[in-house]
Amino acid sequence: MNRSLARLFTAAALSLCLAPAAFAQDDDDTVLKPAEPDFTIASLGTNMRLPQNKMTFRLTHRFEGPLNDNGIGDLFGLDAGAQMGLEFRYGVITGGQVGFYRTNDKTIELFGQYSLLRQGSLPLDLSARVGVEGTNNFQDSYSPSVGLVISHRFGDAAALYVEPTWVNNTNTLPKELVDDNDSINLGIGARIRIRPTVYVIGEVTPRVSGFKPNSNQATFGIEKRAGGHMFQLNISNGFATMPASLARGAFTTDNWYLGFNLARKFY
Amino acid sequence: MRRSRQLFLALTLAFGAAACDEKLSSIAGPTPDLEPTFSSIQANIFELTDSAGRNACTSCHTNVGRNPAGGLNLLHDAAYDQLINVSAIQVPALKRVTPGDPQASYVVHKVEGRAGIVGTRMPRNGPPYMTDGQILILKRWIELGAPRN
Repeated sequence: MNRSLARLFTAAALSLCLAPAAFAQDDDDTVLKPAEPDFTIASLGTNMRLPQNKMTFRLTHRFEGPLNDNGIGDLFGLDAGAQMGLEFRYGVITGGQVGFYRTNDKTIELFGQYSLLRQGSLPLDLSARVGVEGTNNFQDSYSPSVGLVISHRFGDAAALYVEPTWVNNTNTLPKELVDDNDSINLGIGARIRIRPTVYVIGEVTPRVSGFKPNSNQATFGIEKRAGGHMFQLNISNGFATMPASLARGAFTTDNWYLGFNLARKFY
Repeated sequence: MRRSRQLFLALTLAFGAAACDEKLSSIAGPTPDLEPTFSSIQANIFELTDSAGRNACTSCHTNVGRNPAGGLNLLHDAAYDQLINVSAIQVPALKRVTPGDPQASYVVHKVEGRAGIVGTRMPRNGPPYMTDGQILILKRWIELGAPRN
């Protein structure tokens, strides 16, 4: 791993975090921006701000049977097991949210995100995100991550995201046995509003440096917003929904898996 | 408000900056002190019967009171020179240890019991054999160039 690059990236992220308030604007976070209706694209985060003292809940579900394996015979993978996740977020301060996300492989991620820039006078939304994933119910192996969520909203029609993230301890072997134990993900995603409450989404997470086994994970989907709910049906080549698992990559580019996300905002 | 922002940032950044790595001892099994260095492999693999019952290599690969099995003496005064870039007697096309290339090192083939070895998997009275973790550490030392460290 290019440690100097990782340090430079971390320093840049920290610097941005330490000078946030001057850029923040206090417009009403409870008002929906149609181009950015949810806190995630599929696995990558967005710049949506969670109002202070409000909360959200999200369910992620990835069927483990390949969509293209037995076709209708196993209902496009629905007969196999699934990797599921439950997420809870809470707005602790204006522009700042913390969250808890657990998948049924017993990995828990604790994370925080703070909004640094709002699109308006500047062309970008920008947030800093930090998190720690811990396996075996946050008891065994820990993978911290530091990243930025950079986005641009095209009116109410679309939003484009670029999300560089440094993740430590992505290789599951001890550092003495590996060349790289860090990864830099460069998440790229988009959400396009094709009907007033219907969107198509896409994201891909290339690993640009460090430990980068397997294939880059890509996800495509369609989703429907209904009040405070968001229902998303997606297809991806892996089950990763957290930074470290995204860094470890998808199994293959040959198999694709059906999945869905359900989100609910309590405000 | 400003103070709560600063507290939030400090907490989240401190949380996220906590770098973590797996501990080598978590995979080293019955030889928790094993590291990918020659001196450590010599002490923990070649010359130690470990807590799982795997026999020390030097039970047979010694010149004390006998001829070393396979012509390979793994006692500490001789082991390095007898391993590095020395052709294996059983499969002369392979070196016992090819620095930088565990796959081309006959020692790895023998402890993994690969197809193509001559004779038995090592240690010959196994199981227990070397654990997967112990073999990973041995291979890493070779991958790093098999230095005399």
